[in-house]
Amino acid sequence: MNSHKLEYTRQEMMAIATGRELRDGELAIFGVGLSMLAGYFAQEHHAPNIRAMTEGGVYGAIPVGGLPWGIECNRISANATSFTNGVDALGFLVASGRCDVGIIGAAQVDKFGNVNTTGIWDGEIGEHYRAPKTRLTGAGGANDIACGAGRVLIMVAHEPKRFAEKVTYISSPGYLDGGNTRECYGFVGGGPSAIITTLGILRPNPDTKEFQLDAYYPFSNIEEIQSNTGWELKVCPRVHVVPEPTVDELKALRKVDETGALRKQ
Amino acid sequence: MPQPKLISLAAAVDRFTQNGVQYASGAALPIGSDAIVLGRELLRQGRNQLHAIFHCNSQQLNLLAGAGAVDKAECGFSGLEVFGFANGLRRAVETGATQLEDYSNLAMAIRLFGGAMNWPFVPATVNIGSDIQYRSAFSPEEYPATSKIPMITDPFSGRQLGAFQSLQPEVAAIHVSMADPLGNAIMLGTEWSRFELSRAAKKVILVADEIVHTDCMRQFPNLVRIPDIVVDAVVYWPFAAWPQSSPGLYDVDEDHMRSMNKALATEETTQQYLKDYVFSYQSHRDYLGMIGNETREKITQTETSFLMDPYRKWILSADEIAKLVLEGER
Repeated sequence: MNSHKLEYTRQEMMAIATGRELRDGELAIFGVGLSMLAGYFAQEHHAPNIRAMTEGGVYGAIPVGGLPWGIECNRISANATSFTNGVDALGFLVASGRCDVGIIGAAQVDKFGNVNTTGIWDGEIGEHYRAPKTRLTGAGGANDIACGAGRVLIMVAHEPKRFAEKVTYISSPGYLDGGNTRECYGFVGGGPSAIITTLGILRPNPDTKEFQLDAYYPFSNIEEIQSNTGWELKVCPRVHVVPEPTVDELKALRKVDETGALRKQ
Repeated sequence: MPQPKLISLAAAVDRFTQNGVQYASGAALPIGSDAIVLGRELLRQGRNQLHAIFHCNSQQLNLLAGAGAVDKAECGFSGLEVFGFANGLRRAVETGATQLEDYSNLAMAIRLFGGAMNWPFVPATVNIGSDIQYRSAFSPEEYPATSKIPMITDPFSGRQLGAFQSLQPEVAAIHVSMADPLGNAIMLGTEWSRFELSRAAKKVILVADEIVHTDCMRQFPNLVRIPDIVVDAVVYWPFAAWPQSSPGLYDVDEDHMRSMNKALATEETTQQYLKDYVFSYQSHRDYLGMIGNETREKITQTETSFLMDPYRKWILSADEIAKLVLEGER
């Protein structure tokens, strides 16, 4: 990003790149935090008919007053058209196979798109389960979305510690050991279609399911991304630059992100 | 004829809980509805060695675990969403004081659904293939664990599915926006798993922000998702979910969410928190004073307050409720 003057933050670029993956009319579920901003940005900008829900079963809502504190915060309960429950949203509409797309976050992700949000251990866990050195948030609904949504978008800050050859603990499955290992479990959903980061976009190789660099941003480059990835990141032959956010996109995102959660550096 | 079930918070904890009880709270949301004040009362009455069943962590589980009162916990999500990691629960898990068995949010909900149906287990294709299935905090020696979420075969198609053990908590405290004195309840906002929990638990205590006349329930019977026949006690306690939110009534208290979580990060500051915010009040009036007039004014200016409009004319006064509590405790 040396000489490039940023008029948007890396987090905003990540949210916009994620939002661009969503298509109008899709049934979509958004996790808490940045995922929600990316999702509602898409609704505001190019997917007005997206059928958005949260895992708590909040339907028809558009957040008011900025980033909701949670999936059930009053900021998302102020204009909903339906409130139901977890069995309905995560079960009837996601585990059933009806949901087209989900957005989840990650503390750590590996080259097959497996996500760890459970804990950080010193070394391997070993045969005997032991408590993590640092306990994180657990799987929440992300495991259910990772198993059931048609495709999954993973949003994560691009730092070496977050990109591991193999995650210590799989909280939410990607392609497990790669190849066809995911298929052995009979999940309803297809698995992660992209890992969208603060530096670029990774997509799975169709055969090996290993994530490789598909695109970088106007302010990042291939070497920078590779050096921030904890495995030997392969580069797609068709690697390209992601178009910068347009004025309209930034306007729409900042309308949703009223409190500037994505503008904090 | 159904009887009024209004009792005091202290009486509810005294009657329905004991050390080591398998205790569930609803909605067990990290920001929204949860019967948090009942957790404070558990600590006030010295309850410990709890087996906590929380759909998700809330400030209640964070507090109970941080205070050292939870031996075992099962939950789907163990953070505080945008407020970050749950320091009290985290400290208890990292030191080994609390064994935390991980599931996903759907898994917890269907386990309660199974309990409500009195089924031994519920099949699903979530959690399988991940370490949620292969690692068990309750049976740490098993790897890969086969007793936590065993695989079963669909007898019709031959497909492999995970079997999730049903939950029937010994007692559940369920926060609701409003209840009538008999125990009929209306929840504003997502139910999360309160519907299932109210049928799965062996004893159900409702903790209500408002008490309304039964005529209100007769006006909106479709919205009464918890009917009196599954309820054992009703506790009236405005701001019961504080510092979390109650849609229609109050927003999350952002400052206290942060300061409480900060306090729970160490043993020493947790003791101070207990002194200031758990053992400090003798009455509901004291409790409101503890929250503070300014804060209450701020959090009740909620964008969701219109959600309460249809019900306001049936809200009972504190005096009317006090009389009913006296009768209920007789």
